Amino acid sequence: MASLHATARRPPAAGRPRAARLRRHAWSYVFLVPGILLFGGFSLWPLIASWWYAFFDWDGVGTPTDWIGLDNFREVLGSGAFWDAFWHSFAFSFAALVIELPLALVLAILLNNAWLRGRNVYRLALFLPVVTTTAVIGIVFAILLDPIRGVVNTALTDIGLADSPINFLGSTTSALPTLIGIDVWKGFGITLIYWLAALQTIPKDIHEAALIDGANSRQSLRFVVLPMLVPLAIVILLLVFQRSLNTFDLVQATTQGGPNYSTDVVPTYIYRFAFDPFLQAPRYGFACAAGAVFGLMTLLISLMQAPLLRGRYKAGAP
Amino acid sequence: MSRTRRTLRWAAAASAVALTATGCNLVGSSEDDSGNDDASGENVTITVALVPDPPGASEFYRAQFDQFEEENPGITVEVVENPSDQQLNAVELMFQQGDPPDVFRAQADGFDRMYERGWTHSLEEFVTDEFIDRFPEGTMNPATSGLHRDGELYTLPLVTGKWDVRVLIYNEAVLRENGFDAPPETWGELEEMATTITQNGGGSVFGYAPTDGKAIAVEILAQTAAPSSVVSDGIDFRTGQPATASPGLVEAVELHRRMQANGAMVTGWESWDGARAFTEFAAGTIAMYPSAPWHVAEVRKLNPEIEMGIAPLPVPDDGRGGYTPMKQSFQPIWSMSAETENPEQSWAVMDFLASEDFHRAYYEEFGTLTAVESAWEDQAAENPDQSAILAAAEEGMRLVPNPILTGGGGAAILQARAQRPELKHTDAAVDAIINNKPFQPIAEALDAQIQAFLDGEVAAGTGTLDDITFPDWDPLENFTPEQ
Repeated sequence: MASLHATARRPPAAGRPRAARLRRHAWSYVFLVPGILLFGGFSLWPLIASWWYAFFDWDGVGTPTDWIGLDNFREVLGSGAFWDAFWHSFAFSFAALVIELPLALVLAILLNNAWLRGRNVYRLALFLPVVTTTAVIGIVFAILLDPIRGVVNTALTDIGLADSPINFLGSTTSALPTLIGIDVWKGFGITLIYWLAALQTIPKDIHEAALIDGANSRQSLRFVVLPMLVPLAIVILLLVFQRSLNTFDLVQATTQGGPNYSTDVVPTYIYRFAFDPFLQAPRYGFACAAGAVFGLMTLLISLMQAPLLRGRYKAGAP
Repeated sequence: MSRTRRTLRWAAAASAVALTATGCNLVGSSEDDSGNDDASGENVTITVALVPDPPGASEFYRAQFDQFEEENPGITVEVVENPSDQQLNAVELMFQQGDPPDVFRAQADGFDRMYERGWTHSLEEFVTDEFIDRFPEGTMNPATSGLHRDGELYTLPLVTGKWDVRVLIYNEAVLRENGFDAPPETWGELEEMATTITQNGGGSVFGYAPTDGKAIAVEILAQTAAPSSVVSDGIDFRTGQPATASPGLVEAVELHRRMQANGAMVTGWESWDGARAFTEFAAGTIAMYPSAPWHVAEVRKLNPEIEMGIAPLPVPDDGRGGYTPMKQSFQPIWSMSAETENPEQSWAVMDFLASEDFHRAYYEEFGTLTAVESAWEDQAAENPDQSAILAAAEEGMRLVPNPILTGGGGAAILQARAQRPELKHTDAAVDAIINNKPFQPIAEALDAQIQAFLDGEVAAGTGTLDDITFPDWDPLENFTPEQ
């Protein structure tokens, strides 16, 4: 019945001349123009241009003229340093998915409990790192974790948990896990907010119906809340995956990819080739090729998750 | 609908009136706001792009330019500051956007990056005998000054060539407490002293730091053991052949590898930036480290009371194999834009930046030994730190061949080599030190890559091996261009 009403109100589009339709919606198109211009100028054009530049041996000055075909792509794909950086980037994402995502969900469920006292204070405390500048966080952690006079090492050695200071950011074995830990802590608050928003989309009457049907809290969580979260969880998973894969500022502020490139991620790798002042001339063409390959790989990994996620989405969709 | 349209039209009209009233439009002001009123004989604005380095330079340059403006009422100096590591990219962007600075700072290799693009203005037309006489005799020879290209002066210096010296900075009190009454003269003594001091330091005082996270100390010490071209480019200029695996360079890495494995080096150096070494030294945490001389003034600023000694670099136990290179009299710093509309006024600013008054002020502010030596030589002679730096320069530096200055194929090959930083020993050396790997096979693999690179460049016609070969060069003597 409702659909019949809707059809009745909407005149058939096929019978209306296109010009009249354009006139009717002229202002709508005018208002779309700024958005289209901004999107085209700041998203679409750089994307297309970077692909184009990737086919040139270009130092970023003037018009690229030295066409080298796929050479930059071959060099990127054959570079051990690029793949090391790629796996480091992937490690950030993997940690975000297996540690940050579930942990944030658990805390979100706790903080979504209306009976919990001071829950807004807890939410604020957990969200504070998100709004703190990453560079500042990097510098503060570098000071805290320093093996000489760093508070953490002083505490560890004073308590007796460590015989000698731990070289958190200076060791090739501990630097990457340390940075991943900081990144998880930094991003935890926003993931928590995603989960809280998702939890608050579940209608209260469904909870009440489950209680009336005799479900306890655990059963309500297992059979009501979690299945209803699945569609939104997929979106959250993709958001967290994308965010953590592009970690740059934390690494740049703490280790610049060191020691010995053990924390080098793809964004710092690209940055080095495009902007390193110690290069005689920047290699923008090569940096663009690295960016393009990284973008493709990211897309590929995201698409690989699609069949699995689609199945889960269908299973969880109400 | 009609009401909405009317409202929007009113809003558009009001906006147009407001924009007109404030003199704004989307394509720029109709008035010439470039500050270039030269034709009318009024004030000219000269833009100077520089870096706020060392700390306090922003205020210093502004005060100096204020003084310049007082003495030159027709010229206003507008300063554009960029962080040191972004200066070249920022200046390049300014050129590309058609709004280049009139005068800009492009240091060392950065100058050639600008010169090759035709962005620098020859200074030959402005130079007078009085100008040349400001600098020490012979230093403005076009073949060796470092400021000339194709025989013409293109850039001006800030610091003396002696400032490229490298020294060993040491804490006299720490050495004394550990039973040492003098700094090490050999690498063996350095290793022994560093190990002892770290063992006695109880985790709060360490014997040695390799200067920064790239272990730049390896390069500094290796210059006393191998020809400088081996250390800087992996090529022995005596033969034109790859030489990363030469004994002096390999032993410099092995020295650091042993000290790292034995725990003689400061903990956490692997993530140090360039400022950390002098900060920790000033705090009394490290006893010795090889350093650039500008660290000395920074240490004094942080801790004026510290018992700091400055010594020439220790040499290999079996004797010296090279010196800290003096590739040219000066490093390029100040250049004039080829696109400046006011070359006369730009030169006036550059002339001021190369004046004795400016160099004296810079020396007094930062303790840097500037290019105009008459500005500071009397004061430096009475300053123990600066006297020690000058003595170390006298003892530890020698002129070396520099294909970049001769231009042609040699310069092109070295510039292409600079585009391939992975061919240099630096990253491989850090890997060997941190992960305790023998460096000899790594160096031999690097040499194979350098050989392939050289073969490729020669085949491509970039240059010939003769362009980078100086068979008569003795690394233990001063090189003369005639060789």
